[in-house]
Amino acid sequence: MPGMGWVIGVVAFVVVGASYVTWVAGRVDRLHARAASAGRALDSQLVRRAAAAAVLAEAAPGDPESADLYAAARAALDARDDDREAAENDLTRLLRKQALDPDTPDGAAVVAAGRRVALARQMHTDLVRGALAVRGRPLVRLLRLNRKHPRPAYFDIDDPTE
Amino acid sequence: MRIGIVCPYSMDVPGGVQFHIRDLAETLISMGHEVSVLAPADDDQPLPPYVVAAGRAVPVPYNGSVARLNFGPLSAARVRRWLHQGDFDVLHVHEPLAPSLSLLAVMSARGPVVATFHTAITRSRALAAVQGVLQVVLERITGRIAVSELARRVQVEHLDGGAVEIPNGVAVAQFAGAQPLAGWPGECGPGHGGTVGFLGRFTEPRKGFDVLAKALTELMPRRPGLRLLLAGPGDLADLDLPDVIAERTTFLGKVSEQDKARMLRSVDLYVAPNTGGESFGMILTEAMAAGAPVVATDLDAFRRVLDGGRAGALFPNGDSAALAGTIRELLDDAPRRKALVEHATRVVSGYDWPVVAERVLEVYNSAIEACGETVRGAEPPTDW
Repeated sequence: MPGMGWVIGVVAFVVVGASYVTWVAGRVDRLHARAASAGRALDSQLVRRAAAAAVLAEAAPGDPESADLYAAARAALDARDDDREAAENDLTRLLRKQALDPDTPDGAAVVAAGRRVALARQMHTDLVRGALAVRGRPLVRLLRLNRKHPRPAYFDIDDPTE
Repeated sequence: MRIGIVCPYSMDVPGGVQFHIRDLAETLISMGHEVSVLAPADDDQPLPPYVVAAGRAVPVPYNGSVARLNFGPLSAARVRRWLHQGDFDVLHVHEPLAPSLSLLAVMSARGPVVATFHTAITRSRALAAVQGVLQVVLERITGRIAVSELARRVQVEHLDGGAVEIPNGVAVAQFAGAQPLAGWPGECGPGHGGTVGFLGRFTEPRKGFDVLAKALTELMPRRPGLRLLLAGPGDLADLDLPDVIAERTTFLGKVSEQDKARMLRSVDLYVAPNTGGESFGMILTEAMAAGAPVVATDLDAFRRVLDGGRAGALFPNGDSAALAGTIRELLDDAPRRKALVEHATRVVSGYDWPVVAERVLEVYNSAIEACGETVRGAEPPTDW
């Protein structure tokens, strides 16, 4: 039966192909879920940093620089998605001008929060890059495996620890 | 926190990665965390209580040397079982890109995975060739740590990702508290005496021992009582030292960790004349912790550790005349040595293991938060 070989070949091809597509689809879902989760973690670290900056500013009332810092911290907390990067950069710039004393509790809290923002952002960036890379693969585009997920975006701010 | 650490190399073979993992694990345990280290080892081998054996390691040629690694279905099953039983909050693998337990662990875990890269792999073409495979491994890693600026640069340039630089730690108290060897360092005053130390593979050109030997050939005839305390694996007979150095050299051979600390406490000056190939300079932080004034080549890595030359003297790479001058000046100038040591003590406190472990914990916490879950095994473990 010469046809039998063909049937087995086609079935094997379909099975292997389907498993591969399933694997890739799982990978797409997983990477998007992880990028989204890292985004939420970054968000909460940014909020904590702004809060720590506000506490630092409140410790020196009447000082014009502290007033600026407090305003920048508020602006960072209130910012919407499209102006958030600029607001966070403003806050970073003002914090850099402050002589942060890591030996005081308020200063140490801001320094630690800045480090955690840097870590959270780096992890977010890596995961977004992974998700974007997998979105760009021909098979993913052809089968529109990414259609369930909005395109993840980098959060592009200056590194607060530099 | 429940922490699972994977060591790719046998714990009974001495090596930088193994010492790093041992010190990190012990520091984390002393801070109150639960740590389990999975490492290649025989089941009947005596191991520290926190190490879980993953079976005998097989010697595999890798990256120009022989690495003892575990790989294959049996090891994979053990990794899965360890992950399942450990129920870790975070998984920390070391050198995950080599075919090893680390790679197996990354591939069988979901959730917060932190990876530390020790070596600076620079063969970018080899990396590019397997980029697609690497991508599958790398995208499972949440947080990357590089132990040196060089290792970090490899991450950024070749592996397309960021990494936070956290240096190798050093057990400062262990070095600072070591007893000097009996009768050392001896007398040291203007124009006479003094002990210079060198530790490492003196036959390897990159370690720069011949730069030091040339400097000493110039100095010793003019400085009575100047001695060399030398330690490291190798045979002194291979060196062909001039008589003037040979008769004033004390050779300790290959030293244990404890004797290394004692040796570093026994010198007036520690010299690191390396001509290249150092990505971090572990020996410098050890010498600094032991309170030995340091003279080192002006390599980028050394300059960074020595705080731009304030925590130790720097000399131009390969320049034995300049090294001789620096050694002579420093041996004559006790207050200057004291000032270097004082600054070095401050600098090295930033490399103390508890400080370094605190920074590693910060990465763990960020990874856990970024994942929003703890570590899960990818599939239920098979029962053996």
